[in-house]
Amino acid sequence: MNLGGFAGRILRVDLSSRLVRTEPLDPGFAEDFLGGLGISLRLARERIKPGIGALSAENPIIVGVGPLVGTNVPASSRVYAVSKFPSNGAIGWCGGGGMTFGCLLKCAGYDHVVIEGRAAEAVILRILDDHVEIAGARDLWGKGVEETCEALWARFGRPAGIICVGQAGENLVSFSMAYIDGFSTLGRGGFGAVMGSKNLKAIFVQGTKGVSVSDRKHYKELLQGLMGRIRDYPYLKEWQEMGLMKSLEVVPPELYRRIKKRRLACVSCPLGDKDIVEIPQGPHAGQIICSTSAVNLFTPSSMGLRDPWEAARIVSVLDGLGMDMFEFFGVLGFARTLLDNSIIPRSEAEPDILLESLPSLEAWAGKISRREGLGQILAEGLHGLVQEFGERARRCAPPMVKGMLPYVGPQAPLRWSLLGTMELGQLLEPRGPHVATSGSPTYFARRPLEVFPKHLTRMGVPPEALEGILPGLETGQGQIRVGRLLKYSHRWFTILACLGICARAQVNRFYDAGLCARLYEAVTGLVTPLEELRFKADRVWTLLRMLNVREGFHRAQDSPPAQWFGLEGFKDYLSDKPLSSEEVEAMLDDYYREQGWDPRTGAPKRERLVELGIADL
Amino acid sequence: MGKFEIEVFPELCTGCLRCQLSCSDLYTGAFAPSQARIRIMSGGLNCEVHFTEECNKCGVCAENCLYGALRKVRAEDER
Repeated sequence: MNLGGFAGRILRVDLSSRLVRTEPLDPGFAEDFLGGLGISLRLARERIKPGIGALSAENPIIVGVGPLVGTNVPASSRVYAVSKFPSNGAIGWCGGGGMTFGCLLKCAGYDHVVIEGRAAEAVILRILDDHVEIAGARDLWGKGVEETCEALWARFGRPAGIICVGQAGENLVSFSMAYIDGFSTLGRGGFGAVMGSKNLKAIFVQGTKGVSVSDRKHYKELLQGLMGRIRDYPYLKEWQEMGLMKSLEVVPPELYRRIKKRRLACVSCPLGDKDIVEIPQGPHAGQIICSTSAVNLFTPSSMGLRDPWEAARIVSVLDGLGMDMFEFFGVLGFARTLLDNSIIPRSEAEPDILLESLPSLEAWAGKISRREGLGQILAEGLHGLVQEFGERARRCAPPMVKGMLPYVGPQAPLRWSLLGTMELGQLLEPRGPHVATSGSPTYFARRPLEVFPKHLTRMGVPPEALEGILPGLETGQGQIRVGRLLKYSHRWFTILACLGICARAQVNRFYDAGLCARLYEAVTGLVTPLEELRFKADRVWTLLRMLNVREGFHRAQDSPPAQWFGLEGFKDYLSDKPLSSEEVEAMLDDYYREQGWDPRTGAPKRERLVELGIADL
Repeated sequence: MGKFEIEVFPELCTGCLRCQLSCSDLYTGAFAPSQARIRIMSGGLNCEVHFTEECNKCGVCAENCLYGALRKVRAEDER
C-alpha cells in the first residue's frame, strides 16, 4: 500500500491461540471508508458476527487511527475503538484524545489493531514496531489505571502509549472504561469490561518508524495557513491557560489556578486540556490527580457532592478504578430512590448510599468495582437494576436511553434545558448517550440564527441543505430544524473521526470541511473533493446504523424518555417553550429522512444503501 | 554552530511533541518522533528537554512550539 498517512498494516491478535500476525490494509478500504473510524467500522462489519455477546471471546476490539494521526496537523491524534458494548449490546465506537498512543501506534507501523479471543490469564499486548508480544500480567491484575500505567512505563520505558483498564473493567462493570495514557477515557458503555472479558489488562505501544505524507508541498501550504489561524486566535493563550474551564467555568478561575500543577496535551494539539492538579486542603490535601480535564473533577458538585475537593477526590477514585462518573452517579441515585421506596431492602445497603457523602461514595465505588454484595447488581448499570427489581423499579427509574443515563437534560448531570443537536443526538447515537458526535452551533444557548449559516457551511453543510435546516431565515421569522441539522453534525463528526482530528469544538473551530478534504488529499494522495468526502462520511455513518439494525436496533430504541417532557422538561431551542414527545418524534422523522433512512423503522432505505455502495455489505 | 540558541522552559511544555514531529520531518522527511534531534521526556509532573548531538540549533522545534516552552533566540556570536 503506497498511500501517505497510512502505515498500511493491520495487526491481528488472537488472545485464545496467542497467534499474532500482520496483514496489509486493503487500499480499497481507505478509498471507500476514508480511514480511522470508517475503516474500523468496515472491519467490524467483517469481524463482529451478528448476535454474539459483548463479553464473549468472539467480540473483537478494533482499535484504529486515521491517516492524519502521527503527522503534525494540529490536534490530530484521536484514537477510536469499535466493539459490541455490554451496556446495551449495541455496536459502537468509543474515542479519546490519543495522548501519545495514537501517534506511537502509527509509528509502530499499524493503522488498526484487531484483538479477538480470550487469554487464559491476565495479559498485556506489547507492541514495539514489528515485535509483538502477549505477555503475562498477573502482577498488574487488581491494580488501578494510574498504577498500571506507571508500572508499565517503569518496566518498559517511555515514550510509550498505553490503553488500560482498572478493577472495574477486570470485573466486567457495565459502565467501566479504558484509559489512554491514564488520562483520556474510552467507552462509557463498558469498553473496559470488553477488555476485562478478554483478560487484557493493557495495550502497550512503542514505535520508531515514521509517517510520510504524499504531497509535501501542498501539505506545507495547508499547514502554514492553519497554523497562522491558530497563532492569531485572540483567545489562544487564555485557552491554553484555562483549558476546558474557559468554556465551562465550574469553579472560580483563581481557585483553578491555585490547584493547577501541569497541563498536558495529546500529540500535536495546540489547546491541551488534560490537567494535573493538587488537592489543596482537607483530608486528601496534597493528592496529585491526573484528569481528562479539571471540569470533570468538579462535575460531581452538580450531582450532590458540594465540596469541590471531595468532588475531585471521588473522580480520582472512579478514574483509578476505571468507571464512568455519569453512570456511577446515575446508578447510585437510582439505588437511593429504590432504597427510599423499600424496593431495595435497607439491609442490603451497608454503608448507606448517600450521594452527598464522600465516604459512602468511595465505599460504593469499591463495592461496585469488586461486585461485592449489592455492588454485584449495581455493576450492571441502570438497566441491570430494572431487570433485577422489576416493574416497581421501572416506574421510578431515571431517564434512560438505550439503558444509559442521558448526560444532558432533565435529571441528567448537565441540566441544560434547550434541545439542540447535542441533546437530540443522545437518542440517535447507536450505543447510547455520550458526547462528541452531535456538535453544532446549538451547543451555545440562544444563538441568533443569523450566525448559523457561517458555522454550518464550515461544518460542510451544502448550500442546498441550509434552507431546509433554517427555513424562513431571510424573512426574519426563521426556524431551526434540529433533526435535519443533526444529520450534518454526525457527518462533520464522522469526517473528523475518519481523519483523526479531535472533535472538540474548541479545536475543530480552526477547521472547515473543505480544509479537511484538502488535508486528506495532501496526506494520503487520494483525490478527494469535498463532495466525495461528505459522501464517504455518510457511507461510514450509515454503515454504523446498518450494523446495529442487524443487531435488532430500530426506531423504538431511539424514542425519548418520558422524563424529557413536562414543566421541567426540554424546551424548544428558539422559543423556550416546553416540547412535547410528538415534537421530538417529528425531529427524529426529520433526521431519518435527511439521512435517507426509513422514518417508520429507523433503518437505512435500500435505495440509500445502493446509492452509498454498501447494499451488499 | 547554528544561528540560534534554543531557550527551554520545561514548565510550559505540555508534551504535545510538535517539536519532535517538526524536527524529524525536516531532517528525515517523515514524522518520526524517535528520529528527532530534540527529545521530550514527559511524565506526570516532570518534563525534561534534551537535544541530541546532531542538533544544529536550526530552531524548527521552537517555531512549532505553541506553548512557549521553546524559544528561538539569536546566538551570541551572531548578534
